Amino acid sequence: MSKRSESYGYMGVILRINLSSGAITREPLDMTLAEKVIGGRGLASYLLCHEIDPAIAPLSPDNPLIFATGPLTGSGAPATSRYVVVCKAPLTGTIACSNSGGFFGPELKFAGYDVLIIEGESPDPVYIWIDDDKVEIRPAGSLWGQFPVATEVEIKQATHPSAKVASIGPGGEKLSLLAGIVNDNYRLAARSGVGALMGKKKLKAIAVHGSESVTLHDPEQFWKATMDMHKKITNDPISFGSFRAYGTASLVNLINEMGAFPTRNFQSDTFEGAADTSGEALIQSVLKRNRACFACPISCTRVSEVTAGPFKGRGEGPEYESVWALGALCGVSDLAAVTKANFLCSEYGIDTISTGATIACAMELFESGVLSEQEIGFPLKFGDAAAMVRAVIMTGDREGFGDILADGSYRLAQRYGHPECFMGSKRLEMSAYSPRVFQGMALQYATSNRGACHVRGNTVAAELYGIPRYMPPEVMEQKEEMVRRPFQNSTAFVDSTGICLFTKFAITHREICALLAPATGIDFSFDRSIEQGDRIWNIERMFNLKAGFTRADDILPERVCEPSPDGPRAGSRALLQKNLDTYYQLRGWDEMGRPTAIKLKELGLEDWWGVCGS
Amino acid sequence: MVHITVKLNVSLRKYRSSLKINEEMPILIPSDTTLAELLEHILQIPAEEVAIHMVNGIKSDMDRILVEGDKVAFWPPVAGG
Repeated sequence: MSKRSESYGYMGVILRINLSSGAITREPLDMTLAEKVIGGRGLASYLLCHEIDPAIAPLSPDNPLIFATGPLTGSGAPATSRYVVVCKAPLTGTIACSNSGGFFGPELKFAGYDVLIIEGESPDPVYIWIDDDKVEIRPAGSLWGQFPVATEVEIKQATHPSAKVASIGPGGEKLSLLAGIVNDNYRLAARSGVGALMGKKKLKAIAVHGSESVTLHDPEQFWKATMDMHKKITNDPISFGSFRAYGTASLVNLINEMGAFPTRNFQSDTFEGAADTSGEALIQSVLKRNRACFACPISCTRVSEVTAGPFKGRGEGPEYESVWALGALCGVSDLAAVTKANFLCSEYGIDTISTGATIACAMELFESGVLSEQEIGFPLKFGDAAAMVRAVIMTGDREGFGDILADGSYRLAQRYGHPECFMGSKRLEMSAYSPRVFQGMALQYATSNRGACHVRGNTVAAELYGIPRYMPPEVMEQKEEMVRRPFQNSTAFVDSTGICLFTKFAITHREICALLAPATGIDFSFDRSIEQGDRIWNIERMFNLKAGFTRADDILPERVCEPSPDGPRAGSRALLQKNLDTYYQLRGWDEMGRPTAIKLKELGLEDWWGVCGS
Repeated sequence: MVHITVKLNVSLRKYRSSLKINEEMPILIPSDTTLAELLEHILQIPAEEVAIHMVNGIKSDMDRILVEGDKVAFWPPVAGG
C-alpha cells in the first residue's frame, strides 16, 4: 500500500516511557499493522508478543503496560470511547487485556498518541503528565495512598483542569492481584490484575491533556455513516432502550428465573434474594441518574447513592456482574450493602467480579470449617452483608486476612488445600451466567484467552436474547462455531476498533467498517473484519501457549460439570468435553489446541512461533 | 379454567403497578389459553413490548397452551454484560 504523509483515524505515534531510565521516546506507528490487527486489543497484543518472552514473571520490570486506543477512539462516532490495557496478567499469567471507556482513551488520541507503552519500574512513586508533545515524569508525593477520585482532583490542580486521569487506588499500590486501573473517577480496566503491575512500576497515575483532534480521511462519508449508526443505536430496544433506562442489572430476575444465577460460590443456580438486588430494586432505591462516556448516546452508566445507614456512600454502578458477585455469589441480598461494596471496589481500584468471587470462596471455606473466625478476624458466612463489606475493605487495604484475599480465589483455595472451591478457569473467576445452563458460556469460560471471562464471547446474546439467532442454552450442536466466530472473533475485532461493545445489539461489523474505512482511508471490510478477529484471537492464544498454558487449562471446575441442584433446569451440567475437540478443529488447531501450520499461514502468522521473546 | 401465575418485569411492571418486584400475580384463565392469548387478551400488553417469555423458567413459544400451575414471566428487551 502507498505511504501516507498524514495519519487518518490513527495519530500515527507510539509513546514509550521507561520508568527505570526516565527515557521518553516517540516511534511512528507501523501502518501495515492497521490492516493486520487494527488497533486497541489487536495492536497491543501484537506489540506485547514482540516486546516480551511470555514466560517472564508478570511483575517483572520487563512486563510493559500497554495502553492502546483504536482508530475510532476519539473520532466522535457513537460510543467511541474505548481503550485497552494489555500486559502479561499478574492474576493469571495469561495475556491480559482489560477494556475501559470514559474519556481517557480519546484524550490520549487528542494528545497525539495511539499507544502508550510503560516500561521498567520507577524507584519511587511517580505520575506521568502528558500535555500534547510535553511529557514529564513527576514525583507522586502525597498522591500515593489516595483514592482515585481525590487523586484526580489533585492532579488536575497540578496539571490542567481538563486533564483526563488513569490511576491506581490502594489496591494497585499494594500489588493486589485483584487491582485494576481506574479512569475518570469510577471506570475500571478491571480484570486480570493490571493495576498490580502499575503499582509494581510505582506509577500512581497518568494524566493526559490533548489539543488535537482525530483527522478523518473522508469526513463527509464518515459523518454519513455516523448518522446512520446513531439512528440504529437510538432506535434499538436493547442498546438504547434497556441499557439507558434500566442498566444491566435488569438481568437479575431473568437469569434467576431461568435457574442460571450462580449462588453461594456456584453451589446452586437460583437465589432467593434476587429480587432485592435486581435492576428494578436499584431504580427504586439507589439510582440517581445516568452518565455517558465520550460521544455515547446510550449513557448506560448508573450514578447512584446510598443516602443513609451503615452502607452510606455514592459513586457509579452497580452493574449486573457486580450486583451478582457481591450479592448472590456471596448469598447477600442487601442492596445497600452490595452498592456500598461496589463503591468501595472503585475506591480501592479492585475488580468487583474477582473480589466478590474471592470473598464467596472464603465464605465457603469458613462455613465448611477450613477457615476459622480467628484467622479471618470475624465470622464470614454466606448472606452476611456487613461481613461481606468488611471483607471488601480489608481486601482493598491488604489488612489482616485481607492480605490473602487480595490475591484472588485461585490462590486462596490452593493455599488452604481446597482447589475445588476455585470457581474459574486459568485463575480468573467466572461470572454471572451458569455454565451448567448456558453451554455456549461453558465453552467460552474454558477457552477465553484471559481466563473465565464472559464479555469476550457473551453467548447469552444468542442463548437467551436471540442475537444473532436464538440457540437454546442447553443445546450443544453448532455451539462451537457460534462461540468461535460471531462471539469470540467478532468481539476481538470490536475491541480493536475503539467502539464500545454495547453498540453490538444494534449494529454489526458492517456499520463499524462503514466508519473505519472513511476514518482511516484503509480498506476495512466485513470479510477482512472476520479474518482480523480470527488473527487477533490466535495471537492471544499463541502468547498463552508460549507462557505455558495447554489444553489441560481449557477446563472448568468440577462443580459445574456436576448436576445443578435447583431451579427449573435442575440436573443440567456443563458438557464442555464434548465440544472442545470440535471447537479446536473449527479453530484450525491440533488436538492439543495449538494453531496448525496451515492455520498460521492462512492468518499470515507463519513466523509466529519465532516471535514472542525469541 | 386453570390457575396460573404471571410475573411482569422491568418496564412491563407499569401494566400492573401495584405488584411488588418479582411478585407472582395469580390469574384464573380459560383452559386452552395460549401464551399469546394471555398476553394480548387477558393482560392486554402490546406484544411488541415483550421480548422474552418464559413458562416455568424455560423460554416458550407463544402458541404454547398454558396448564394448571404454570408460572409465566415476561420481559421487555434486556441484556447485560
